[in-house]
Amino acid sequence: MTTVERPAAADRSGPVTRGVIGSWQLRKEDDRLLRGDGRFTDDVEPAHVLHMAVGRCPYPHARIVRIDTSAAEQLEGVKHVLTGADVRAATEPLGVLRPVPGAPRLPYYALAQDVATHEGQPVVSVVATSRHVAEDALELVDVEYEPLPHVVDVLAALEPGAPVLHPDVLDSNLLAANSDGSGDPEARIREADVVVEGRFRINRVTALPMETRAVVAEWRPGARELTVHTSTQVPHLIRKQLAESLRLQESDIRAVASDVGGGFGLKLGVFPEDVLACLHAMALRRPVKWTEDRAEHFRNSTHARESVHDYRIAADAEGRILAMTDVYATDIGGWNSPFGSAQLSSVVLNGPYRVTDGYAERRVTLTNKTPIGAYRGYGQPEVNFAYERLMDTLARRLDLDPVELRAKNMLTPAELPWKNPTGAVYDSGDYEKCLRMAAEAIGWDAHRGTPRTPRADGRIRGIGFSSFVERTGYASARFLARRGSQFGAHESVTLRANRSGGIDVWTGVSTMGQSAETAFAQVVSEVFGIGYDAVKVHAGDTSASPLNTGAFASRTMIAASGALKEAAEELAAKTLRLAAWRLESDPELLEIAGPVVRRRDDASVSVTLAEVFGTAITGQGIPPGEEPGLEATSHFEPADAAYSFGTAAALVAVDPGTGEFEIERFVMVHDAGTVVNPTVVDGQVRGALAQGFGAALTEELRYDAETGQLVNGSMVDYFPPTAADLPPIELLHTEVPSPVTPFGIRGVGEVGTIPPGAAVANAICDALADFGVELDTLPITPEAVWRALSGRSDGQGFDEELTPTRENLPDGGVGY
Amino acid sequence: MTAPEPLVELTTTVNGEVVTATVPARLHVADFLRQRLGLTGTHVGCEQGSCGMCTVVVDGEAVKSCLMLACQLDGRNVQTVESLAVDDELNPLQQCFKEQHALQCGFCTPGMLMTATALAHQGGHPSREEIREEIAGVLCRCTGYENIVTAIERYFAESVERPADEAAASLPGGAR
Repeated sequence: MTTVERPAAADRSGPVTRGVIGSWQLRKEDDRLLRGDGRFTDDVEPAHVLHMAVGRCPYPHARIVRIDTSAAEQLEGVKHVLTGADVRAATEPLGVLRPVPGAPRLPYYALAQDVATHEGQPVVSVVATSRHVAEDALELVDVEYEPLPHVVDVLAALEPGAPVLHPDVLDSNLLAANSDGSGDPEARIREADVVVEGRFRINRVTALPMETRAVVAEWRPGARELTVHTSTQVPHLIRKQLAESLRLQESDIRAVASDVGGGFGLKLGVFPEDVLACLHAMALRRPVKWTEDRAEHFRNSTHARESVHDYRIAADAEGRILAMTDVYATDIGGWNSPFGSAQLSSVVLNGPYRVTDGYAERRVTLTNKTPIGAYRGYGQPEVNFAYERLMDTLARRLDLDPVELRAKNMLTPAELPWKNPTGAVYDSGDYEKCLRMAAEAIGWDAHRGTPRTPRADGRIRGIGFSSFVERTGYASARFLARRGSQFGAHESVTLRANRSGGIDVWTGVSTMGQSAETAFAQVVSEVFGIGYDAVKVHAGDTSASPLNTGAFASRTMIAASGALKEAAEELAAKTLRLAAWRLESDPELLEIAGPVVRRRDDASVSVTLAEVFGTAITGQGIPPGEEPGLEATSHFEPADAAYSFGTAAALVAVDPGTGEFEIERFVMVHDAGTVVNPTVVDGQVRGALAQGFGAALTEELRYDAETGQLVNGSMVDYFPPTAADLPPIELLHTEVPSPVTPFGIRGVGEVGTIPPGAAVANAICDALADFGVELDTLPITPEAVWRALSGRSDGQGFDEELTPTRENLPDGGVGY
Repeated sequence: MTAPEPLVELTTTVNGEVVTATVPARLHVADFLRQRLGLTGTHVGCEQGSCGMCTVVVDGEAVKSCLMLACQLDGRNVQTVESLAVDDELNPLQQCFKEQHALQCGFCTPGMLMTATALAHQGGHPSREEIREEIAGVLCRCTGYENIVTAIERYFAESVERPADEAAASLPGGAR
């Protein structure tokens, strides 16, 4: 194992001239995006396109008594109207890609049937000559609603007597419960010298990509060809889901995602409006476009994270952890979205800590709110907040240094690989090294012994840590099959040589900011030997790319790099054979160097790639026994999931009078294994940290309990960080290659979302230790700190804890 | 039945070209640029003037084009992201964004570029803090902003080194 400390991007050296893994390359994606020449879905404008608008339920829970669309249909310019009955006749309910194990299938149609279960659920859709006219027509649709009792609080929804959202399918709002664990944590808790526990409330936030969802559908009945441009992370899975919902063959559908303006997990699968646009287009035989407006985005895309965790850590008097348990309720909203509620809180239950007795139980709960979907981190920021807050509580209880307590319990490099209580296998890493680097960088030793007294400006300084692991990729297709997931763990690419001497790469992964085109070209350049500039990546079109999985779960590079490597090696071997025939040499004596194949010992004996590729493409001048053509497709599944890891440290200054605080420094030490493009990796970590700070500090979707309305569903009322809001961030890396992935790569997309909440809360609690402040709720606002200081509850008491129900789970404990 | 949509005539200059059009009174500038002129580099993110995706330069100032009606463009001079690059060459500001990895998904990038372009019209050399404040009207969900600030800072630093007339020529509009 090698560990390399690499300075942060500040010392980025200029672009190099040839593609190699580990170097900064100017991005393939940038020129078009910088020139306004990207092709986002709303930029697609077929001739004779019509426009769709969607009417939505204004109530959190309501029966649809009657819909009268006659006035709307009379409006000039209106071409087609759909209601729930039309949709029921023509389609199947929307499928779920990553089901909750043990959950019944909910009849989620593209338009509400008898009952809508959240504000914003589609009820009627109209297509007209312009969006303006379509919206005018919606004003003329007369819908009679009968409001039904609603419930928006996740714990209240589980109470007996709560209004049940789907009484035809379920007796309560518990969609399903899943448990995992090993050992006997209850016995360890009874024996322990100390048990710390808490109820941790995680806020409802949303991924908020800057490009909203959008779809353009075009149907040619004679050709049986439905072309669907859509803003998605998973074009091949969209094609599968649309075929199922629309009762078409997959071969009838081409899904295209050209440029995607951010996804972050939200754009994972089919939404009602995708199905509606297709239905209208098929009925009208004209292209139909719908671009979500931001008000719709806040109400019918997906939200994320909302959950209540009852977490316990038991330890002996020296601080050795004996057991960790988490019983938690996650909100899933009114329907099961394509990716359901977050499943990784259970997988990384114990973070980087050594514990053999552990238990996680997830209760997936329906409420009258917008459905919850995947969002960068997918359960990991939530559980990290719980266990890292409790690690500091434990340190205070035992009067131990929180850094030493963490170090004592962290798995060591020698202990890895190691299976955690919920079955996850941590592959490799040096967790303590990251912790020590973070402690040193933030100045912990100097701070530790100082009294927590106010500075001249009245503020008190505190330091907090959050250590974490991050699951990246999937363990295996077998793992996914056991949980009913509708996709594989592999990634697929096709490489094809062209007559210009270049290589085209076709991938079903769409381009949404993660720099896949750049990184894919780097791998091909590295493995094949061709120049980086001579590789072109074509992304996101199901009619051109091999069937794949898609861009989510920090999995693209760890899976795709293997497929790229295999395909590039196959192509290189044939290229050398063809060149050897041409040069009257032996393949072993040749090498590919940029635009030519040449003799290793005599560079003057060479032939251009353009020539060699030309012989293959025409079949003219190839050796006997060789087939014409120069193309390779590879499907690659990594050996296991790779676990990234690290520690973050925050330095804050808190005003003990008002609760106001400022994050003066934030250090992130992180390991992503072998780095393909260091600048891109830093960009991914920084971007995810920004989202992590948003969720930790300023973002929260609030529902009014009485009316069931989303009260801040607009950009004016919801506060993602701006350029002026973020604290100074320092990035440090280690680089321990993973043994389970090609090149030793670990995923990197999500990790930054994990530690900000816990690190900042721990820092505030450190500053205010003399006041006995223990924060347990996100977001962390000055008001929350002030309430904690003044002993004022926010009215959300900790009445009765969620207790394990290991013996009588509905599904017997299938796992995450 | 509603009455026919009221229409308005306008004459404006967009990226140096005089445009005359008849548009619905309720059409906003972002939709006008995208749907009538095919200038799809200007993006729409919220239609509330909050996210900044649709920022363009009107008479030298950064404007959120979703909050301005197309008819208000009459007699004015508009610059969009499409005006920045000349032929196959990115302009120096775009080049700084590329070299500093100041974009990921690229959806906010036109708004950032046009905000910085308007800032350049004002002259002077803003500090990092001032750049942060200036671009705070444009949201980016991908980058965490650091590299965007660096790119704009670098652009201003390099424009000191360029002769003044060359720096001005690298801006859109003007002579072209």
